[in-house]
Amino acid sequence: MAQAAHAAEAPHSSTGIDSRKVLMWIFLASECLFFGSLIATYLVFKGDIPLPAPGFIEAHMHDGVVTGWFPTDRVVDGVEYAGVLNIPVTSASTFVLLMSSVAMVLAVYGAQNGRLKMMKIWLLATLLLGIIFLGFQVFEFHEFGAEGLNLATNQFGASFFVLTGFHGAHVTVGVLMLGSMLLASMRRTGLGPEAGFHVETIGLYWHFVDIVWIVIFTVVYLVPA
Amino acid sequence: MATAAGTLAAPAVQAPSGIWAWLTTVDHKRIGTLYGVSGMVFFVVAGIEALLIRSQLAVPNGEVVDADLFNALFSMHALTMIFLGVMPLGAAFFNWLVPLMIGARDVAFPRLNALSYWIFLSGALMLNASWLLGGAPDTGWFAYAPLTENTYSTGRSMDFYTVSLIILGTSSLIASLNFIVTIINLRAPGMTMFRLPVFVWMTMIVAWLLVLSLPVLTVGLIQLYFDRNFTTNFFIPDGGGDPVLWQHIFWIFGHPEVYVLILPAMGIVSEVLPTFSRKPLFGYGAVVFAGISIAILGFAVWSHHMFTTGLGPVPRVVFSATTMTIAVPTGVKIFNWLGTLYGGSIRFTTAMYFAVGFIATFTVGGISGVMHASPPIDTQQQDTYFIVAHLHYVLFGGAIMGIFAGVYYWFPKFTGRFLSEGMGKLHFWLFFIGLNVTFFPMHFLGVSGMPRRIYTYDAGLGWETWNFVATLGAFTIAAGMAVFLWNFFRSMREEPSAPDNPWDAPTLEWATSSPPPEHDFDVVPVVRARDPVWYDRDHGIAPPEPDPHEHIHLPPPSYYPLLIGVGFTLIGIGALSHLALVALGAVVVIYGIWGWTLEPTGAEPAAGGH
Amino acid sequence: MSAEGGHAAGSHERSHPTVRQYVLIGLLLTVITIVELAASYTPGLGVLLIPILMVLSGIKFVIVVAYFMHLRFEKALLTRLFVFGFVLAGAILISLLALFWGDPAVINR
Repeated sequence: MAQAAHAAEAPHSSTGIDSRKVLMWIFLASECLFFGSLIATYLVFKGDIPLPAPGFIEAHMHDGVVTGWFPTDRVVDGVEYAGVLNIPVTSASTFVLLMSSVAMVLAVYGAQNGRLKMMKIWLLATLLLGIIFLGFQVFEFHEFGAEGLNLATNQFGASFFVLTGFHGAHVTVGVLMLGSMLLASMRRTGLGPEAGFHVETIGLYWHFVDIVWIVIFTVVYLVPA
Repeated sequence: MATAAGTLAAPAVQAPSGIWAWLTTVDHKRIGTLYGVSGMVFFVVAGIEALLIRSQLAVPNGEVVDADLFNALFSMHALTMIFLGVMPLGAAFFNWLVPLMIGARDVAFPRLNALSYWIFLSGALMLNASWLLGGAPDTGWFAYAPLTENTYSTGRSMDFYTVSLIILGTSSLIASLNFIVTIINLRAPGMTMFRLPVFVWMTMIVAWLLVLSLPVLTVGLIQLYFDRNFTTNFFIPDGGGDPVLWQHIFWIFGHPEVYVLILPAMGIVSEVLPTFSRKPLFGYGAVVFAGISIAILGFAVWSHHMFTTGLGPVPRVVFSATTMTIAVPTGVKIFNWLGTLYGGSIRFTTAMYFAVGFIATFTVGGISGVMHASPPIDTQQQDTYFIVAHLHYVLFGGAIMGIFAGVYYWFPKFTGRFLSEGMGKLHFWLFFIGLNVTFFPMHFLGVSGMPRRIYTYDAGLGWETWNFVATLGAFTIAAGMAVFLWNFFRSMREEPSAPDNPWDAPTLEWATSSPPPEHDFDVVPVVRARDPVWYDRDHGIAPPEPDPHEHIHLPPPSYYPLLIGVGFTLIGIGALSHLALVALGAVVVIYGIWGWTLEPTGAEPAAGGH
Repeated sequence: MSAEGGHAAGSHERSHPTVRQYVLIGLLLTVITIVELAASYTPGLGVLLIPILMVLSGIKFVIVVAYFMHLRFEKALLTRLFVFGFVLAGAILISLLALFWGDPAVINR
């Protein structure tokens, strides 16, 4: 904001880049380490999922297939396990989040080019797509729970739920920011003269959450065990 | 603004006074003072914990404290010294000095700066509240699993540990982002990156280390919290978890953290030595690049804390090699400091005593560090008092000596008063002798096999003499601290008498008054060289005249940082008691952020700030 | 500054993509995702599958960062700040996995 640093002249910045944008990018660099650690934990445990105890097999056997233990389908010792991960459904939610990024970038375009109606429409679209993504996640968690996978089941459950859960928490924060931004844009004064900048900065966060999901989708859902 | 000719405009908003002024301040100097005072208070608290530890160990089968209390004492001694003592004392110098040294009127985000202090205070009080609410953390500051899990830590102490460390980490993250942006973006005209004082460089490196290592610790703490409260088994072997993973996560953070503690002291010493040698720092570029190398290598050495966990031969060789490599940039710095002293016209002030003492004792700690970079030697030394000796030479002989060099050096700038040189030198000798008497014998204890963290020992093991000597040394250090506090309070009662630049120092903070005005500089200085004050002096450049028509815009005070800090406190208390409180805290935080965003800051052309 | 900014140094606004281009980029990302999905369902790719998936998601990552997050049109400093963190995260992740997966003593625990 450089609010303290300048007198009446233009905002002071030694590099010519707005301080708030520099801060956001360094924060995102920090977030790389946050999600990197969660993904590392997931991968450390991924190749190391033991077989379930007989009690678990008994409790979660449906039509001769055990659910809620391994991420993908497999047969071990003559026992058939159904994979927990539902790739078609998650592909749909991945598509939703991808589209929300497109919507976000259009909102930024509107804000930066003074097309406020365009900005509001696409902010709303981003917000709704974000909520739909969260809905998918709630559905997914609920399904997995019903199949027998929870935080305590095994290391796959623990590291999967914590990784995707904290991603979901980031999406939730993004939804809150988008909602606040949308509310603020409804005011008589709108978002003020820096609307383009504000929307762009929130957009940076939103797109980052999207690229984290790109990595999670590949590493967790597509790469085989 | 009402601007009388010849005087500067008053701040646009009437400044509040008294306690409210401190609660709503966004002035980097006041926030620096808050950090400094808090850091000193917790330094004394952790020191008292150390004295209890040393009293217990003074004689065989000591009975000062019992085993459980002893465990809590050494754990809290480390946590308090690291997170509540040395780090905030470093932050005090960052806050006070970075804007002054780069010729800015505040940090890039003054309200964020206040927020990071309030969150720090919240985490600090929460960690210490554990003493009264069911027991303090007692598993060491590294909290190795599975000792920290529900099976072995049945009380709430480890939940206090995870929650308050996440809160403290949030504070450090916010502060670090702020300082990186400030240094990148708020430099005065002419202050290029390679004219920055070395202290500012070290601040930026520390901030980067924190920004990149804290998220890793946060993940580990979250996982531990989930293990304890939400049935996961990340680090519980019986449930398929892996305690070694905790060690990796902790030390990926923990080793950069070591440099977070020492680099500010290195920065301070790099300012003090040139001033009192009356010559520029020898090899500025080498010192800066050595700092950067230490930071980058610091991320590649974490497993040297884990040589005894069975990493296998290849990882041991790799981490041994990277660890030894770190000695090179560290050695470069030591030689540069010596080069600065060499041929200098030296003035032995108290600050200089501490700076030179720093070089000596830090080098001892550095050399013993290279010793256990070698896995076979480390296997002998692991968990013995030899390690305790090493880390205290680095942290007390390094970080603390450096910090006190800074306290004596900048005290006139911070307060307008001098600390007594006579008492200062007494303080130095008590510290210097005390630390060597305390920590040098621990090398002998370690080599003769005394394990760390034991609460007592039997007579006849050959440990009595040196333990008793170490305890004497600890009380010598305490006496030194008492002298310092006396010196401090005595000096604060005196009338301010310090001139702008009492030491004839080269950096920009000495170009303004002592203490500086609220807006730091009447005129934003123009920097023409490294060591700008000396350059202007030698080239006969007079300080610029203030422009009577300039309106200096200062950010108005704000209570939103405090409010959001309260929100964070509620979230923390909620995480320790009832999750509904977490929701309430989140609402307070969101309300605070809204109010913050909409709060007029009067900055042209539009309100800014996150 | 112009040397540092490269092609982005001239007119900052002009170089940003148009709405049409943004939509096309979105389409491209969707197509890559579909190819990824198809690859993961294709039997017989064997050891090739993982590198294919990593390259494809890496391309998506770079496209979003460069175009949607405008990093391509910003000064190089921002790229350096972000890439520094990203590379460090990647390096730590890879070395951690190497420590766990590379050592037989650890694998057989």
